[in-house]
Amino acid sequence: MNNKSFFLSRRAFLQGTGVALALPWFETFVAGSPGKDETPKRFVSIYHPDGVGLPLKSDPAWEDWSWFPRGGESDFKLTKVLDVLEPLRNDITIYSGLSHPAARNVHGHSNADQYLTGAPVGGHGPYQNSISLDQVYAEHAGDFTRHSSLVLSTNGGVGGPRGAQTQSFNREGRPIPAMNKPKQIFDMLFVTSGKDAAERLARSKSALDLLIENTRSLSRQLSSRDQETLKQYLDAVRDTELKLAKAQKWIDTPVPQVDTKNLHLDAEPKEARLYFQTMYELIYLSFLSDSTRAVTFQLGRENGEGPHDLLSLAVGLGGAHGLTHEVKKPGGWQNLGTYNRYQAEEFGRFAQRLKDTPEPTGKGNMLDNTFAMHGSASSSFHLSRNYPIISAGGKNLGFTNGRYLKFGKGNEDNQAGAGIDTDAGWTAKMEVEELALSKLFVTILQRLGVETDSFGGQTGTLGRV
Amino acid sequence: MNHPKITFLLLLVCSAGTIPVANAQEAAIPLEAAKAQGRLKSRFLKEPGPAVKATDDTPKANVAFFQESVGPILKKCCLACHGPEKSEGRLRIDQLNPDLLTGPDVERWREVFNALSKSEMPPEDAPDFALADADRGRIVDWLSEELNTASVVRRSSKQHSSFRRLTKYEYNYALQDLLGLPWSLANSLPPETASEDGFKNSSELLQMSVMQFESYREIGLKALKRATVIGERPQPVTYIISMQDEMEKAIAKADAKDADKSQKKPKRPRSQAQLLNRETGESFPFAEVKIMPRSEVLPVQGANDQPTQDIASTPITPPGSGVLALPRSNELKLDLDRFLPDEGTMRVRIRAGRSTMNPDEYASLRLIFSAHTSNNANFSQVVSERDIPVTASADDPQFIHFDIPLGDIQRNPFRKLTTTFPRRDEFLHIHNVSNASGGEEPLQVLIDTIEISAPFYEQWPPKTHTDIFFESDNKADEQIYGREILNQFLRRVWRRPASSQEVDQFMALFAKYRPGFSTFEEAMVEVLATALATPEFLYLTQRATTDETKSPTKISELELASRLSVFLWSSIPDDELLKLAEQDSLRKPGVLAAQVNRMLADTRARRFSQNFVEQWLGLDRMSSVTHVTDDSLREAMLLEPVAYFDEVLTHNHSVMEFIHSDYALVNERMARHYGIPKVFGPQFRKVEVTPQMNRGGLLTSAAIMTMNSDGKDSHPLKRGVWMLKRILDDPPPPPPPNVPEVDLTDPEILKMTLKERIANHRNKPACISCHSRIDPWGIAFENYDALGAFRTQIKNQPVDATSVLFNRQTLAGIDGLKRYLLTDRQDQFARAIVHKLTAYAVGRPLSFGDRADIDNLTGQFRRRDDGLGDLVHLIVNSNLFNSK
Repeated sequence: MNNKSFFLSRRAFLQGTGVALALPWFETFVAGSPGKDETPKRFVSIYHPDGVGLPLKSDPAWEDWSWFPRGGESDFKLTKVLDVLEPLRNDITIYSGLSHPAARNVHGHSNADQYLTGAPVGGHGPYQNSISLDQVYAEHAGDFTRHSSLVLSTNGGVGGPRGAQTQSFNREGRPIPAMNKPKQIFDMLFVTSGKDAAERLARSKSALDLLIENTRSLSRQLSSRDQETLKQYLDAVRDTELKLAKAQKWIDTPVPQVDTKNLHLDAEPKEARLYFQTMYELIYLSFLSDSTRAVTFQLGRENGEGPHDLLSLAVGLGGAHGLTHEVKKPGGWQNLGTYNRYQAEEFGRFAQRLKDTPEPTGKGNMLDNTFAMHGSASSSFHLSRNYPIISAGGKNLGFTNGRYLKFGKGNEDNQAGAGIDTDAGWTAKMEVEELALSKLFVTILQRLGVETDSFGGQTGTLGRV
Repeated sequence: MNHPKITFLLLLVCSAGTIPVANAQEAAIPLEAAKAQGRLKSRFLKEPGPAVKATDDTPKANVAFFQESVGPILKKCCLACHGPEKSEGRLRIDQLNPDLLTGPDVERWREVFNALSKSEMPPEDAPDFALADADRGRIVDWLSEELNTASVVRRSSKQHSSFRRLTKYEYNYALQDLLGLPWSLANSLPPETASEDGFKNSSELLQMSVMQFESYREIGLKALKRATVIGERPQPVTYIISMQDEMEKAIAKADAKDADKSQKKPKRPRSQAQLLNRETGESFPFAEVKIMPRSEVLPVQGANDQPTQDIASTPITPPGSGVLALPRSNELKLDLDRFLPDEGTMRVRIRAGRSTMNPDEYASLRLIFSAHTSNNANFSQVVSERDIPVTASADDPQFIHFDIPLGDIQRNPFRKLTTTFPRRDEFLHIHNVSNASGGEEPLQVLIDTIEISAPFYEQWPPKTHTDIFFESDNKADEQIYGREILNQFLRRVWRRPASSQEVDQFMALFAKYRPGFSTFEEAMVEVLATALATPEFLYLTQRATTDETKSPTKISELELASRLSVFLWSSIPDDELLKLAEQDSLRKPGVLAAQVNRMLADTRARRFSQNFVEQWLGLDRMSSVTHVTDDSLREAMLLEPVAYFDEVLTHNHSVMEFIHSDYALVNERMARHYGIPKVFGPQFRKVEVTPQMNRGGLLTSAAIMTMNSDGKDSHPLKRGVWMLKRILDDPPPPPPPNVPEVDLTDPEILKMTLKERIANHRNKPACISCHSRIDPWGIAFENYDALGAFRTQIKNQPVDATSVLFNRQTLAGIDGLKRYLLTDRQDQFARAIVHKLTAYAVGRPLSFGDRADIDNLTGQFRRRDDGLGDLVHLIVNSNLFNSK
C-alpha cells in the first residue's frame, strides 16, 4: 500500500458502486464558482523537512549562511542561502515570525504532519489531524479540472502518524497518499484510459436511478410536509448524479497532449538533480494543461532516511538530515546552507518557468495566477517555530511581492533558537511572540476565492500580506 | 465568535446585583417529608378538569369572562408597570388580545400564566399592587383553560413532523444490529446539531447533503463487505506465548550468565511486571518480549467445514508454575513484528487469574496498540472497547478475549517497507487497570498464556455472512435465491415487507451488476449496499394513509414498531417486534406493554439511557471542559448520571428522586471524589448516602457541576441557566439586543474587582429582570466547586449559598433548593420531564399545539406516582407517540 500511487490505491479501495464518487476529480461541485474559461487560480506548496541553518550572530558563518535575509521590508538583502532567488526578487516574498501555535512545543520530527493543517498532532499517544490547506482549496476548485488535487512526495504513500510522507489531509484528517514515481504521475495525468472508472460510473448511475425511483414512490405516499423533508434527500441524489455526469465528461475528454522533452520519467531520487527537476516539471505540466489547481510536494520525511536524504547528493553532500546535526563541525553551517540554497534554486527555476509562460487565457503569465509556497515547519534544529517560508507569484490574486515580512515581536533578527544543535534547544522556554501561520492560510484561501474566515482553529487574516 | 462570550460576561456582571440579602429561616423539614408534602399541592392531582376534546365543533374563546372578571384585575395590579406608562419586560398587558384561540398573543399569555402561577408577579416589594389569592386563582384558571383549548385548536396546524432522518448514532446502531457487526461504523458522518431542548434527534435539524449521502453509500458498502466473505477460509497468523516457556528461557539465560556464580537472586519488587515461578517464588523482570508467528501451518478449512483448528480450540497446556505477574498499572509489551494482516478481526485470548481474592480489589485488562514512526515520535491507542475484569482465581484461571478490527485501528504504515527504518514493528500492550496498591500483598494479574490470531473467525463462513447469504435449496438458481435474499434483507432494512415490484427493481439492478463480478455474492453485496442508501432505511417514515377505515392521523403498527425501537434501542426493530407489527398485533391489549418491558430489559435499552441522559442534561459540554485532568474521573463523571437514570428507570422509581434520593450511584473513582468510603471497583452501584455527604439525586452530579463552571471556580449563572433549561423547562430568554457591553478596555473598569463591576452595573434594568430569575438557582449550588466536590469554605471564607428567588422564596443552599423544588415545584418538574422525554420519543420539537397532550400525560403520570418506567409506557401509549 505504502508505495502504491494515490490513484491506484484509491481505485483498489473503491471498487463497486460507492466508488467513483470519491475519486479525486469528483469532489464537491460548488455552484456559482468560476467556470473553466476563466483564468485558473493555482496553489502549490513545497515542503522540506529539517528546517534551515540559523547560526548565532557571533558565529563567523552568520554573515553568509543564516537563512533569513537582512534588512527591512523592501530593502532586504539575501544571504548566500537565498541569493539564487535574487533574479526573482520582485516576484517573491519571504516571511518570518510565523508558526502553528499547537506545534510550538512539539519536537520537529513530527512537523511535516501539521505544516498545512495547523492541527495539534502532538508527539505521542492518540493521533488526529485535520484538513490541509490544499484540500480546502481543492474542495472549492477541484471540479473544474480532471484532478481535484495532485499530491506528491519523494518518499510516497502516507508515512505514519507524526512521520507523514504526504502534505495533504482530507476533511476527516486522514492522510492522502502521495505519488512519488514520475512515470506513474505522468501516466495518471496524461495517459490514463479510464476504462475501470467508466464501469464503476455506470454501476453508480444504475444505483442512483433505482434510488430516485424508490424515493419518488415513497414520496407519493407522504404528507406534503414530509415530502418537503424528503426533497432534501432527492436533491442530494440528483446532485450526486450531476457529479457523475461531470465525471463522465472527464472520462470522455481526451487527456491533454504535452511536450515531454524535459521529462525523464525514469529518474530516481538518487539522481537527485534530475529527479527533482522532473517532479517540478510534472507540476508545471499539470498546471499548464489545467489538469489540477492544487498541488503539494513534500521532500522526503522528517528525521531523514529514504529518498529525500539523497537529494543533497545534487550538491555533493551526504544525507540531508545529517546536515542539520553537523552544523557545529567545520563547514557545517555552510553545508546546510548550501543544501538549502539548492532547494531554493530549484524552487526558483520552477517559478521562473511559470513566469516565462504566458497564461493560456491571456491574462499575464502563469506565475501571476499561481501562489507558490516553499517552506518547512522547523527553523533551527528541531525547533517548531519561526517557519522559513518563501512564496512566489500570485500578483493577480492580490499578492504584492518583493518584500521581506517580519511578524511577531522579540525576534527581529531571527536569533531566537539560533545556533542550537541539541534537543535542549527546542524544549527551552521561548519568550518571543509569533503569529499563527493559519492566518496567512486564511488570506491565501480568500484570495483563491474560498469564502472563509478561519482555518485550523484560527480566525482572521494576516495583515500586510 | 467573540460576541457571545462578551455578552455572557456582561450578563454575569449585571447578575449578582439583584440578589437580595439572605435571611436564614424556616425550620427545615426532612426532604422525604417535603416530597410527600409537595405532592399534596399538585394541580394535576386535583379533580381532573373538564377534558378538552378535539371535536368538530369549533371551540370559542371565553372573551366574556375576561372582560368581566380578568381584565379589571390585570388593570388594577399590572398596568402600572406593564402599560402605557412603563412597559417592563417589553410587556403591555393592555395590548394583549384576550382571544387566545385565534389571536396573536398566545406566547405572551403563556409567559403571563407562568409568572402568575409561580407567584413571581406582581413583585413582593410592590405591596400596592399585591394580588389577592382568589384573584390570582381566577386569572390562572381562566388562562389555563384558554391555553389548553387554544392548544387543541392549534394542534391540527402544528408545524413539526416526526418524519425524520436517523441520527448519526441511530444509523450506526441500526447498521450494527442489521449486520451483526459490533464496531463503530459511522464515524465519517458529520456530528448532529442539538435543538433548543438539547436533542439531537429533532426532525427539523436533521438535514441531508450530497456529502452525507455519499458517506452513507460508502459506509453501507464497506459494512456489507466486512459482514460477508469470499472464498476459502484465510490462513490466520497466530502467535502463542507461554509464560512457562519464557520462564525456562529466562532460567537458561540466567544459568549461562551465572554459570560460575551461585549467588542468590535478589528479590524483585512486587510493583514490577515479572515472570514468576509460583512454586519457588523465583522471578525475572519481564515487561517486553518479541514474539514471532507460529510456523506450523494449520490445515486449511473448506468453506463448509466445521471450525476445528483455530486458537479457540487449540489444546492449551494446563497452567504450569510459570506465570507473568502483572501488578497494577503495569503492562506486558509484545513486539509482534510486522506479520499481522491488514484486515480482519484480531482475537487476543489471555488465560489469567487473580493472585489474591480480596473483594475490595479489582483488576482488569486493557489492550493498547502502538508503533514507533520515528526516533522521536510514536503513536499509541487503546484498542479494546472496554476493560475486561479478571475475576477468577489464579488456581483456576479464566480465558479473557478481545476482538480488535485490524482494518479500523491505526496501524504502522511502515510495516511493509523493505528497509528497516522507520521501524516496521507493531506492539500490543496488555495493561492491568486496577485499584490494588496498598496492603501486604496487593492484587496482581497472573497470566500463563497469551494467544493472538488474525484474521479470526468463530466459524466459516461467519454468522454475519450466513445471516445474509443463508442456506437455501434454491442456492443454485441465482434468480430465485436472489429474490429470497432481497426479501429477507429489505424487510429488515425497511422494517416492513417488500413488495414483489420492489424486489423486481433490485433484481434488475442485480442483473446489470452481475456480469461485472465473478461471484453471485460480490454482485449481490453491491445491490444490498444500494438498499442501505434508500430513504426508508435512513429515515423514520410515516405514510399518509389511503385506507378509509384507519385514522388519518394514527401511524401504522409497522411505523409504531420502528418508532418504538428508535425510542428505546436507538435502532431498528428486531424480528419479534417486526412480526407482531406485521400481524397487526402490536396494539392488542397487553402486547404493547409486554414489548416495552421486553425492550427495556434488553441490553440495547442502555442506548436509550445513554443518549437521552446525555442530551437532556447536555453532557456534551463536558467535552469542552479542560480542567478535569484525570481521565478516570472524567469517564466516571460522564457515566454517573446515566447509571443513576438507569437505576430509577429499571426500578420504576419516582422521577422526584432526580431531585433528591438517599442513595447515589457511584464507582470507586466517583466515590473517592465524593468522599464516600468503601466503594471498590470500576462498576457503578447504588450506595446509601448520609445527609453529611451532600449527595443524592442528579442535580449535584460532578459532571453537571463541572461543565457549569468556568474552569477555575463554580459559575452560578451557568448553573442557574442549566437548572431553568434542563430541569425546570423554563428557559430564560436570550439576552436582549441592547445590553450595553462591558468595556473591558476601560482602565477604570479594569481596576474594579468583580464585585465592584457588579455594583457598577446594578442599575441596568435590562439585566436585572432576567438575572434575578436565573442567578439564585445557581447560587444555591455554591457549596460545589468547579469539579463538583463539596466545600464549606471559599478562600477561607464560609460559603454563602443562600439566595432569594424572584418570588422572594429563600433557597438555603442545595438543601433549601431541593426542599423548595419538592414542596412547591413538583408539578413543574414533572411536566418538564414529561416534555423532555416526549420530545425525545417523538423526535421533534414540541410546540404550543402539543400543550394539552403534555398536560394530559403529566396528569396521568402524576397519578401513577411519577414512576419513570410508567412514564415510558404512558408515552408509548399516548396520542403524541401514535400520531403522525
